[in-house]
Amino acid sequence: MNDMRILERDVNTTAIKISAKDVQVYYGDNHAIKDVSVEIEDKTVTAFIGPSGCGKSTFLRCLNRMNDTIDICRVTGDIRIDGEDIYDKKVDPVQLRAKVGMVFQKPNPFPKSIYDNVAYGPRIHGLARSKSDLDEIVENALRRAAIWNEVKDRLTAAGTSLSGGQQQRLCIARAVATEPEVLLMDEPCSALDPIATAQVEELIDELRQNYSVVIVTHSMQQAARVSQKTAFFHLGNLVEYGETGHIFTNPDDPRTESYITGRIG
Amino acid sequence: MTDATQTNASDAAPKMTKGSLLVQDVRTRRRNAAEARFKAYGMIAISIGLLMLVILVYNIVSRGTGAFQQTFVTLSVELPADKLDKKGNGDIEEIKKVSTFGYSPLLSAAMAQTVRDLGIKTDMKPKDMGEILSKGAASQLRDYVLADISVIGRTATFELLASSRVDGYLKDRVTRDSIANDKNISVEQLDLVDALVAAGVVEKRFNIGFITGSDASDQRPEAAGIGVSMIGSLFMMIVVLVLALPIGVAASIYLEEFAPKNWITDIIEVNISNLAAVPSIVFGILGLAVFINYMHLPNSAPLVGGLVLTLMTLPTIIISTRASLKAVPPSIRDAALGVGASKMQSVFHHVLPLAAPGILTGTIIGLAQALGETAPLLLIGMVGFIASNAPDSIASGLLSPNSAMPAQIYEWAKRSDPAFYERAWGGIIILLVFLVTMNTIAVILRRRFERRW
Repeated sequence: MNDMRILERDVNTTAIKISAKDVQVYYGDNHAIKDVSVEIEDKTVTAFIGPSGCGKSTFLRCLNRMNDTIDICRVTGDIRIDGEDIYDKKVDPVQLRAKVGMVFQKPNPFPKSIYDNVAYGPRIHGLARSKSDLDEIVENALRRAAIWNEVKDRLTAAGTSLSGGQQQRLCIARAVATEPEVLLMDEPCSALDPIATAQVEELIDELRQNYSVVIVTHSMQQAARVSQKTAFFHLGNLVEYGETGHIFTNPDDPRTESYITGRIG
Repeated sequence: MTDATQTNASDAAPKMTKGSLLVQDVRTRRRNAAEARFKAYGMIAISIGLLMLVILVYNIVSRGTGAFQQTFVTLSVELPADKLDKKGNGDIEEIKKVSTFGYSPLLSAAMAQTVRDLGIKTDMKPKDMGEILSKGAASQLRDYVLADISVIGRTATFELLASSRVDGYLKDRVTRDSIANDKNISVEQLDLVDALVAAGVVEKRFNIGFITGSDASDQRPEAAGIGVSMIGSLFMMIVVLVLALPIGVAASIYLEEFAPKNWITDIIEVNISNLAAVPSIVFGILGLAVFINYMHLPNSAPLVGGLVLTLMTLPTIIISTRASLKAVPPSIRDAALGVGASKMQSVFHHVLPLAAPGILTGTIIGLAQALGETAPLLLIGMVGFIASNAPDSIASGLLSPNSAMPAQIYEWAKRSDPAFYERAWGGIIILLVFLVTMNTIAVILRRRFERRW
């Protein structure tokens, strides 16, 4: 992979979208996330890397409170999106998740038509006033997910009938259809072949224009290719966080270096 | 790994000639023999099962089909005005005073007349000839007259049921030898029947009355039908469906999707599983104590039967619903929550539709189980001689005394007259038709709802 180009990538944003301070996550007695503090910028792709079980997915799921669905999971600390504490008692996780969309590791389209898959979010959030409105939202979402040309003639076909890469892009379309401000992606390419992966990566880069994207990945090349900021997690700790080029070429922490060079993980 | 294999290989190398692949070694032969044996056991088990099924079906069909055929006597009966409307004023209240005993001689006379007209020689008295007919024939005649009194004074043609002995004679259940000690029928009467069969007056025909009619007293097995208890069963099933399905599904959704997992829900879970194994008669006595003795709902009512069967069916529905909810992949829930659906939206829009085939199957299995249940009905008075007419409204269908199909079958099977025995088998055919129909509907609905992901 051409890792050299990451050096040339400029980070041209300044606004902080998500700020997490001293976040602790416990699964029962297991202390999964320890003292993680991180500031995620707007209109930036931030990659979380680290060995399996290091807590990067767990931390990602804290950002839209998907961990609420796990009974034994307990989150403490302070996570703010646009300065608002998302773990405040007044915050409804449903509203939060409309603002912070998520794409999962395994493509998980609903067993419904392609159209209904994308239209579901706008429908339940009342984003469309009319049928033509909804059609437009669906088309835009599918276009943004770079899948429109492939599915425009068969919008009524089942979402599950698509190939793996198409399914994942459909899931991305579904996530962007609700107009989120932050898009969380939990290893979105782990089930995809290299071609589909390339398409999704290209897509992520485009999505950066409008969203703050946080992506968890096991592939360091992928992190290097798509992200501007990278956070390295190890054993529940955030070891190092900084500009992608810096992390991959000149990491401050020896653990980061060992991981990147393949010595731990 | 690699080291170990290499060592083994080199150790064994001298005597490693494995023999020809064309010859099975002892181990392989033994393993193959074991496999063949196991397959044979399986085949034997299935064959035994199939054989039993064939025997069962053969028995039911061969014994039960008789109930769908009944012997009828076609008879022209004169309805003389001087006997039925003695004052001649056409007052229905007056005519009602003539009981069935007043109609019996008319039947006997009509019988004798028919026999004379056909030129059959017999020295029986008209009354004895009339005994060929069912004891219900007179009331059939009376009902006919009371329904329209203008027929008085005319002659009308009736299809009257023959007595169960005559019916049995035509179905080879009653023979000339077997009636030696039978006071209900004599050899002369059988001779007459033979003659009448030859003349086409007496014949066996499909008996819709068995499917639509109500139970009849010990004296008139030929008139007994399963129709009214079928309606009783239907009303019970409606009660069960209306109560058990929503309660069961709501309970399972709550337990599976919303309830916190703690010791209270654990206890509830264990209890539900245990309830599924509680003998049904226990539910019967619970129903007796709660619904009848405490809540004072009417005895023998399909409403109470339905409530008891609801209690019995709920665990089945809850267990199968929870199993099918569990089978929905969690990724679907994540997907729905991820786009900002609420928990309830994710359950009702996505999880429930996917679980529907399983829920449906569980419900229909529960209903089928309830349909065939007899024991709890014993305790709430739905088993017994209940010969009410078909209910005329939903309220009376729910509240007036009725029986249920399996209870009716049990009732017939325990009566002494062999004519009822035939009806018990016939009832089982109808019950099985119901169950097979329900299962077919379940399969069809399931196919329809089934989606793949």
